[in-house]
Amino acid sequence: MVALIRLAVVGLVVLTVIYVMVSIYSRSVRRERLEDWADERIADGRLAEGDRDAFIEEGMRDYEHSLRKKLILGVYVVPIIAVIILVYVTNFM
Amino acid sequence: MVYVKWTFLTLLALLVFAFFHYTLPQHDIVRIADTYEKRIDPGGNALFWADPPVGAAQTANRDVFFIQAIRPNGRPIVYRNEDTGWGWPPYFKLDTSNLQAEATDLKSPKDNPQWVSVTHYGWRNEFLSIYPNAVGVRPVQGPDVSIFPWVNTIILTLVALAVLFLWRVWAQFRERTIDPLLEDVGETWDEVDERADAARDRARGWWRRLTGRGRK
Repeated sequence: MVALIRLAVVGLVVLTVIYVMVSIYSRSVRRERLEDWADERIADGRLAEGDRDAFIEEGMRDYEHSLRKKLILGVYVVPIIAVIILVYVTNFM
Repeated sequence: MVYVKWTFLTLLALLVFAFFHYTLPQHDIVRIADTYEKRIDPGGNALFWADPPVGAAQTANRDVFFIQAIRPNGRPIVYRNEDTGWGWPPYFKLDTSNLQAEATDLKSPKDNPQWVSVTHYGWRNEFLSIYPNAVGVRPVQGPDVSIFPWVNTIILTLVALAVLFLWRVWAQFRERTIDPLLEDVGETWDEVDERADAARDRARGWWRRLTGRGRK
């Protein structure tokens, strides 16, 4: 029982570190892309120079509600499913 | 310095290789000669023994199952059979007793061999008295059967992808966070430098006026 609790605690800590890292990375990549899009639009004349920041902020607000952000929760889900499958395969197959 | 660097890198590569070689599963084709159990008091080699079975008390010594086997070339190999439980390495093996029953059931004499594939991890080392841990047994056709290491392929691919991803994350972090920060520091430093130059020029001018002679 102690070992299982230890696995759960260590697993939770490690997965949380990974989750935070992936979240920051994903957000950073999205912001970079939004900056590129904004610059393209400004070059085409479809966006005013002064609206650049607003365009990026709106894109980031959309990102906060996107499916992509929710998919990062898979960092927690996938390993738990993997452990359950492993327990079955090693012991009962 | 070049030697230090290469020695360090070689040691690191060896360590990584040893880690995976110890931890990842391998298949041996063997004939099981016998199974037994023996009391074990792990000491200096405790690192290479598993924790007590799930649910059992943490005691200094305990009985461990062993599987004695003979390779097709006639040389012996002995496996231990221990629960990894919820600890490292993450095989989540809890069926030690069942595995021992299966292994005993697959015992065969030398003149009528039943070849079996033993899935295991770990090393046999006579100097440390350590044994690979058997994870699964299953009968196979003959001694020449070869098994493709699917599990290892998948795990190593995932590890490679993880390293690649980590490298991408680091590159992104550097490009978006560290480099702008360094640029800021650089700009501040330039400003400080300019101000220092201006101050020196002023001081020189003052000195020249005071003494009435200039230096080139």
